[in-house]
Amino acid sequence: MTRWLPHLFVLFLASVPLWMTDNYILHILITTGIFIIAAMSLNLLLGYTGQLSLGHVAFFGIGAYASALLSLGFEAHIAPGLLVKVLPKPVWFAMLGGIASAAVCGYAIGKLAFRVRGAYFVIVSISFAEVVRLVALNWVELTQGPMALNNIPALKLGAAGLELSFLKKPMVYTLVLAVAVLSYVLIRRLVQSRAGRAMIALRENESLATSVGIDVTAYLVLATVVASAIAGAAGALYAHYVRIVDPDIFLFIYTVTMVIMVVTGGKGTLAGPIVGGVLFGLLPESLRAMAMPPEVQWIAYGVLMVLVVYFLPRGIVPAINERWGAGEATASPLRNLVVAAKARS
Amino acid sequence: MRPGALDRDQRRFSLDQLLQHGLNAIILGGTYALLGIGLTLIFGIMKVVNFTHGEVYAFGAYVMFALVMPLGVNFFVALVLAMALGILLGAAIELLLLSRLRDADIDTTMLVMIGAWIAMQNTEQLAWTGVAHSIKNPFPPEPLVWGALSVSWNRLFVFAVASLLIAGTYYLVNWTKFGKALRATFQDRDTAALMGVRIDRVNTATFALGSGLAAAAGALLGPVFVVVPTMGDLAASKAFAIVILGGLGSVVGATVGGFILAFAEELGSGYISSGYRDAMGFVLIILILLVRPTGLFALKERIS
Amino acid sequence: MSIQFGRIIRTCAIFAPLLFSSAAGAQDAIKIGVSEPLTGAFAASGNYVAQGAKIAEDEINAAGGVLGRKIQLIIEDNKSNPTEAVSTVEKLTQKDKVPILMGAWSSTLTLAVMPKLEEYGVPMVVETSSSGKITTAGNPFIFRISPTSEMEAKAFQPLVAKLGIKKADFLFTNNDFGIGSGAEYAKMLKANGVEVGVSETMDPKATDFSAQLAKIKASGGDTLIVTTAVEQLTLILKQAKDQQLKVRVISCGGSNSPDQLIEQAGEAANGTFHTVFFPPWFPEVTKNPDVAKRYMDEWKKRGHNVGGLTEGFRGYDGIFTIVAAIKAAGKAEPEALRAALWGVQVKGIYGDIAFIKQGPAGKESGQNIPSVHLVTITDGKVSKLGL
Repeated sequence: MTRWLPHLFVLFLASVPLWMTDNYILHILITTGIFIIAAMSLNLLLGYTGQLSLGHVAFFGIGAYASALLSLGFEAHIAPGLLVKVLPKPVWFAMLGGIASAAVCGYAIGKLAFRVRGAYFVIVSISFAEVVRLVALNWVELTQGPMALNNIPALKLGAAGLELSFLKKPMVYTLVLAVAVLSYVLIRRLVQSRAGRAMIALRENESLATSVGIDVTAYLVLATVVASAIAGAAGALYAHYVRIVDPDIFLFIYTVTMVIMVVTGGKGTLAGPIVGGVLFGLLPESLRAMAMPPEVQWIAYGVLMVLVVYFLPRGIVPAINERWGAGEATASPLRNLVVAAKARS
Repeated sequence: MRPGALDRDQRRFSLDQLLQHGLNAIILGGTYALLGIGLTLIFGIMKVVNFTHGEVYAFGAYVMFALVMPLGVNFFVALVLAMALGILLGAAIELLLLSRLRDADIDTTMLVMIGAWIAMQNTEQLAWTGVAHSIKNPFPPEPLVWGALSVSWNRLFVFAVASLLIAGTYYLVNWTKFGKALRATFQDRDTAALMGVRIDRVNTATFALGSGLAAAAGALLGPVFVVVPTMGDLAASKAFAIVILGGLGSVVGATVGGFILAFAEELGSGYISSGYRDAMGFVLIILILLVRPTGLFALKERIS
Repeated sequence: MSIQFGRIIRTCAIFAPLLFSSAAGAQDAIKIGVSEPLTGAFAASGNYVAQGAKIAEDEINAAGGVLGRKIQLIIEDNKSNPTEAVSTVEKLTQKDKVPILMGAWSSTLTLAVMPKLEEYGVPMVVETSSSGKITTAGNPFIFRISPTSEMEAKAFQPLVAKLGIKKADFLFTNNDFGIGSGAEYAKMLKANGVEVGVSETMDPKATDFSAQLAKIKASGGDTLIVTTAVEQLTLILKQAKDQQLKVRVISCGGSNSPDQLIEQAGEAANGTFHTVFFPPWFPEVTKNPDVAKRYMDEWKKRGHNVGGLTEGFRGYDGIFTIVAAIKAAGKAEPEALRAALWGVQVKGIYGDIAFIKQGPAGKESGQNIPSVHLVTITDGKVSKLGL
């Protein structure tokens, strides 16, 4: 029975556009879904490798900007005297470009940032997102700076005559759901593979993992590349749905939203970001519906964050698992270590 | 005008400009250092990424505003009171939010601090609205002029007080019994505890001290700038950059880091592009990481 | 502490009528959507506009509403963020089903929501934004009552010779508002034989401008044209004085609240010039002084900040414009309102509000031609400067 539950859940979600006519609810579901995809990718770093990256929104934003720019076309000086001109590309190609750009940045940053750990890593990751934001803000020739990239085209698939347009909300919703399911499957395969066990091993005890021959940095970089590619995909979806991208997309508060989704749901569990994402995706709307002054909404949000951490320090999903003893079986750290060491030899 | 005269004129202008940038940087660096020191202590001793630092800074400025403007308290008395209240606020945050999370991992405490940061900033807006407030200062309105250079008396005062506070903190950390306990905790928390250091007290005191310095910075800079609810964000991001530059837990590092950041910002925006002014600190961080990942004055290896 | 509680009580008092009005008679009221920055970087100005809009709402409802129904403003916070602004329009049009909108304060915020207006076919009255792009982009749902930067620069033109401007430097925020205004003023000044020196930009959230000011001082112009909101302007005036930058400062864009400058920048505000779109110091010079007086009296009665008068009137005029359209259309439906807006004649504080066509043929946006006033501050007093 429990085995079929996830499939039934996905089927139910897939049926939503068939009976849901309220555009506003679809809008909330779409934006929540996009953030859940981003939160799932963050969970790979935060939950499975134990690295607290607070710059994750950078990959989301890079995916959004790269995809938007490729679909709109641009002309910019990459270096003095070196003018790069790109003609508008089809949206599906632009989105793949966005994902690739995010992955490449993930590789570079992974190589750089994993020279440090702990509190330092946290600040380095924030700095990275901040630098990207300031570049987006000031490189007006390329990004239009604070004027934002406007009129980004929506995704269209298929040839003339048989065209599939993702402009209307039910279609966008279906697309977001498909990407979310794909990302979920990808992440599950990764964390259940040998590479995934190595990641968990180094989360549990990094020095021990190193001593049995696990190339810690290589696995961390791998996790970062996959996580940033998925975050980039979420960003690309966002850009072609909202159809505007501005430098505020790199704001720290979006990273905070992703982190709180992961932690509330339960980091290091596959279902965690989804549960947390649904909760914190719908929360701002419910606060807004209570007709409170905006400052009070924010205060409530902040206080709720503190309370969640106090009362559910490990998250909702592990708490449920403990109570009913069901759900994902997590292998013991020692076993992870042994498997990972075997993978090396 | 002959071409030669123009050249000489321009050279003099650019030398004046350079000196003015330098003077601005020194004055700015003092306040940056003050902001950085408070954060680096909390960071080093408690391993807490303190997101409320910027809000305590804004709190200092708002206390200063409330005391000086509507209540008419003497400017200098208000300054001392703002710092004292900052210390109390810091102690309250530590006892209320952090003391129970002593053994929690770094992301748990950090999320609590982020929640507190969001709640505090919006409480400020609720209490004082988003409208900017300004604080009157008792200094002469005409700046101190020296040739083509000039600086306001208020900023000079800020620099002087900041220097005093930095020196005082340095003395406290390096020459007092409290400082010894602080340093012992930093080096090895467990051994320090075994040797009779009351870790919980050290934690509360550190957080209170760091917050007091942040509140002092806010109270000092409130009259220089204007007081708005979002003022803490920029201050916090500068403080983070300074801590990375200087190295975790190092008072000297934070001081030097503060001045490096100020010079990079002033000269960078003066001669490269003013738009990237606030990016300078982060660019420096990335450069430092490439060249010397342990920071300029790290007391402890940071690669685990 | 007492101040703090006073503020809280006042804040509650501001929102109490909102709660009350949404509870009573929500069934038959005509909804009007408003998207303003109530939190974040532009919170101060956004709240003023919202306060002005609420004065208009109460005044209209006290006079019996429109078409025999009351009006009800639904004010959403766009958090000074373009993406959030889009979200508020989603909410207002899809959930609240408002037939017409007002917003979204800054040019960037307004530009962000414009594609949504076309998607959902809902018209919007733009009350503050100044970027030329808004009315030239070919969006037939835009009706702007505020002046464009170009109009403002043109109104300023006679003063170039009068003030004897020879060389001007620029300092503006790096967004649509600042860059657009800088470009229009530079064009106008060049056409009048003025040399243009350095153009420095700043982040809208920046607080320290020492580096930019040192550069401007080195450029050696006689005039500095500044485009930003009042908070940054205050700091710029103070810091320019500290750095002995002895040039004539002219601020443009109309979000410069001279009252607040006098209060907060003190002596540093003396000798500066400002373009404003409503001069509350001498309401008699406006086209409709009786309307201006009524608005000012109510503003003061409610205890709102006097420094916000130059901002709040935008919301007041915006709501009256919308109500005039509802009256003319005879019903509250988006397409009828859009058609009716073309014919409205409103006696407002901006002047006599009516829309002319701007932008590509067939997809024109509406643009009002408001009055522009130039004022100067001397000895802590605002005085009028003849145009």
